[in-house]
Amino acid sequence: MNIEAFQNRVLPAKNKLFRFALRFLGNEEEAKDVVQEVFIRVWNGREQMNEVQNWEAWCMRITKNLSLDRIRTLARKQTHPLETGYDVRQETLSPHESTEIQESMNRVNQFIAALPEKQRQVIHLRDVEGYSYNEICEILELDMNQVKVNLFRARNAVREKLMKINAYGL
Amino acid sequence: MDSKKIEALLQKYWNCETTLEEEQQLRQYFQHEAIPEPWKETAALFRYFEENKKKSLNDVAFDSRVMTTVQTSKRSKMVKFFYNTMRIAAGVTVLLTATWFIRNEVRKTTPQEMVDTYDDPKLAFEETKKALLMISKGFGTAETQTRKINMFNEAQEEIKKKDTKL
Repeated sequence: MNIEAFQNRVLPAKNKLFRFALRFLGNEEEAKDVVQEVFIRVWNGREQMNEVQNWEAWCMRITKNLSLDRIRTLARKQTHPLETGYDVRQETLSPHESTEIQESMNRVNQFIAALPEKQRQVIHLRDVEGYSYNEICEILELDMNQVKVNLFRARNAVREKLMKINAYGL
Repeated sequence: MDSKKIEALLQKYWNCETTLEEEQQLRQYFQHEAIPEPWKETAALFRYFEENKKKSLNDVAFDSRVMTTVQTSKRSKMVKFFYNTMRIAAGVTVLLTATWFIRNEVRKTTPQEMVDTYDDPKLAFEETKKALLMISKGFGTAETQTRKINMFNEAQEEIKKKDTKL
């Protein structure tokens, strides 16, 4: 792969990678760093890329691994404890959009952020990015069954919380 | 799309039986149409997915930064090799210069007599001869001096002989 192919084919995936990394890290700067590192890894490993069938899934997998590494180092350094570092308010689009639907969307964001890691990854890849089950298996290095179980649990956990809001008007 | 179909699709969705196209239909439905009250929160979920997909890495310099890093890493193997070689060369140069200076300094401080002539046998022989001559010259002077003392000795002996004869 030459530099033009890299620029035209791989680099445009940056937003997908960024959103995925953000899902792990909850911090835009950290996510951006991770994405940059992913591209450098991809470039350095470009010889392998010809053997990779789905290069986008491959990039996503690298993003996942680097994000997890980053979480580990952050936890070790304890400069930004992730619990407090995860600022859900960052997801707010703009102040003037704070309508009722916007508020419930923020709540949805909190629900998803509260999910266990695997469930969070699966629901993000499926419902935000629209990946097929096979691709999710490849990205997360899980088998089909685990992916489906995690997606089922994630969707139903969110649904339950949404129904609670409907019932009690929280 | 009528609400019965949506209801059915939602049921499939919660059971994870929907295809990607059906999920797209759901997202579209909740995006545009007026949503009945009971689905308000569900709509929030699908709008959240759709909204989240628009989220992008808003950094204009990002692409160029990645490209420059990538392009420099292309050369970096050569550059790294060059730098490492230069590093070693510099280290060796410093070491050699230091040794040379120290050797000079040591030579200066050592007295000239101590400088050996071992590598030239002729010169060594001459030097030894010179040293021996110097010693023998010393011996010579000493001998003449002792001879003078001997004179007193002989005189004393003479006097003693005369004393016993008398």
